[in-house]
Amino acid sequence: MGFGVAFQPINLLIAVIGLGLGIIVGVLPGLGGANGVAILIPVTLVLSPTAGIILLSGVYWGALYGGGITSILFNIPGEPWSVATTFDGYPMAKGGRPGKALVLSFLSHGTGGMLGCILLTFFAPPIAAFALRFGPAETFSVMVLTFSAFVGLGGKSAMKTLISIFLGFILAAVGLDIVSGQLRMTFGSVNLMGGFNFIVAVIGLFGLGEIFLTVEEGLRMEGFKATVGLRDIVDGIKEIRQNLKVLTMGCIIGCWMGLKPGGATPASFMAYGFAKQAAKNKDEFGKGASAGIIAPESAAQGAGTSATLPMITLGIPGSPTMAVIMGGLMIFGLQPGPMLFKDHADFVWGLIASIWIGTILGFIMVLMFAPLFAAVLRIRFSILMPVIIYVCAIGAYAVNNRVIDIYYMIIFGIVGYFFKKLDYPIAPMVLALVLGDLAESAMRQALIMGQGNPLILFRPPIALPLMIAAILIFFWPTISSWKQKLSAKKGTKT
Amino acid sequence: MRKAEIGVALFLMLIGFLVLADAIRLGFGWGMSGPKAGFFPFYMALGIVICGSIVLFKGIQKLKQEGPGKRLIPEGGVKPVLWVLLPSTFMVILTELVGLHMAALLFLVFYMRVIGKINWVKVIPVSVIVPLTIYTLFEKIFLIPLPSGLFGDKLMPF
Repeated sequence: MGFGVAFQPINLLIAVIGLGLGIIVGVLPGLGGANGVAILIPVTLVLSPTAGIILLSGVYWGALYGGGITSILFNIPGEPWSVATTFDGYPMAKGGRPGKALVLSFLSHGTGGMLGCILLTFFAPPIAAFALRFGPAETFSVMVLTFSAFVGLGGKSAMKTLISIFLGFILAAVGLDIVSGQLRMTFGSVNLMGGFNFIVAVIGLFGLGEIFLTVEEGLRMEGFKATVGLRDIVDGIKEIRQNLKVLTMGCIIGCWMGLKPGGATPASFMAYGFAKQAAKNKDEFGKGASAGIIAPESAAQGAGTSATLPMITLGIPGSPTMAVIMGGLMIFGLQPGPMLFKDHADFVWGLIASIWIGTILGFIMVLMFAPLFAAVLRIRFSILMPVIIYVCAIGAYAVNNRVIDIYYMIIFGIVGYFFKKLDYPIAPMVLALVLGDLAESAMRQALIMGQGNPLILFRPPIALPLMIAAILIFFWPTISSWKQKLSAKKGTKT
Repeated sequence: MRKAEIGVALFLMLIGFLVLADAIRLGFGWGMSGPKAGFFPFYMALGIVICGSIVLFKGIQKLKQEGPGKRLIPEGGVKPVLWVLLPSTFMVILTELVGLHMAALLFLVFYMRVIGKINWVKVIPVSVIVPLTIYTLFEKIFLIPLPSGLFGDKLMPF
């Protein structure tokens, strides 16, 4: 039924346009999936609801794919969830195999997206029922797990990682506190009342910070020429088959995380962290390991796709971009939630069908578009660089229509520059900034429910195992060095 | 490098203390119906202060044992960074006066000409076309307002 709707030629065309826009938007640092969708909502008002949503979803999907392209070629993540891709994608490009990196990214995205679609199609009702049982304590414990993964598996100094995380949370808290109505950490400044937006932070930290770093080294910012050749495709497929476990793990983590209001960003980091831990050749990570691309990319797309699930079934957006799409739906008078399935079943299935098509179409399109981006790299740095800063400034401003955000972007750029030089991890800070409000309110609600007793955060059956896992992962470096010492002892005994 | 480590750690701890002060002002205990507004920031800031002091301590130790370490910013690195940072900041300041697109135009001209030493023949078309395209795209097609500054409306009446 849904496919009937989706395959109408006009809808297919709109899907293609949306995807194309989305890929471009996903590539550009600053426009972003959420922004791109928000920008296009007025445009969709002239279309029918179904067509409008197909366009928006196309943008969303394209952005998911596109985020990987600049991560690999420029080491600038186009989206927060493509940050983890820069860890290994860019080194692989540096090492001379950008085409392969791109193919790996697209294949992982495609697979992650497919798995997400399957989940979406078959599991909508039961999963929605389960997610309903997630109380604030459970939500909080998931967050703790994510951040523990950073500390335990991130590979950087635990202290510096923690500082990053705390700093991110503090930045998230600046401004108006919704619960108490009080202004926090504004120190009398009107500008600080608005707080910090994570998009601005990401543009500054990664975009500008990276530009500073590159310029400092005297290199022209060379992204890499990448043509996706047949050899790259063949190699890419081979690597995927060798890394099926990582791929599956990434998809599953992604689809799982997408369901909760965590979204694609923590999913990609978790997948990366787990892949690194489970790998036999950990040292390759950060230098161009295939698994280092496969894990986060499949997780990101899986999360992005499955984020649609709670939005459609429960009316809870699984990610910020989903929240924007939900806003779009409401403008059309379609209230997302369980009633949507009942009253507008044909619309819902049309949407799901278009998601299928979007995943497949998007994959084909990125394979064809990649050489186009290679052409961009031939532009001289002195022209490219100021244009990128210009576009970044637009991105920073477009979030909230405040010029102060552009200044913040520059400040974040300086912070990013110094953090990278001194080996402070930036990703957990961004994550904390994004999730800060959510984490804090989850903790508050949980504590209120437990009447001040922090043990509520450890309650079975869901929160407890998650917290235990979090503690284990947090202390993983200590545990694994114990294990090594133990096995060394055993070795010398025999 | 080591001195920078210590400096940054101190700076972060300073931020931590500032936040602690505000959190104490807001109250970090249990309020009428739940944790007070300062609760979360308090513990976060406490975390920064504690972890920061560990980093600080380690940094000082290393400084004593191994000396100052490598330069933080390699030779000749400061100037290029400043050449990016200062014009960009200036562009933002200009934005408040004449709007983003005019400021960007001047920024592009400046960068391409002064730093890139590119021929005027290339500089002028690019610096005009790029902002113009973006202006049309965003203001007319996407209908997103971008800052036009104090005087921008008079400079570009369309």
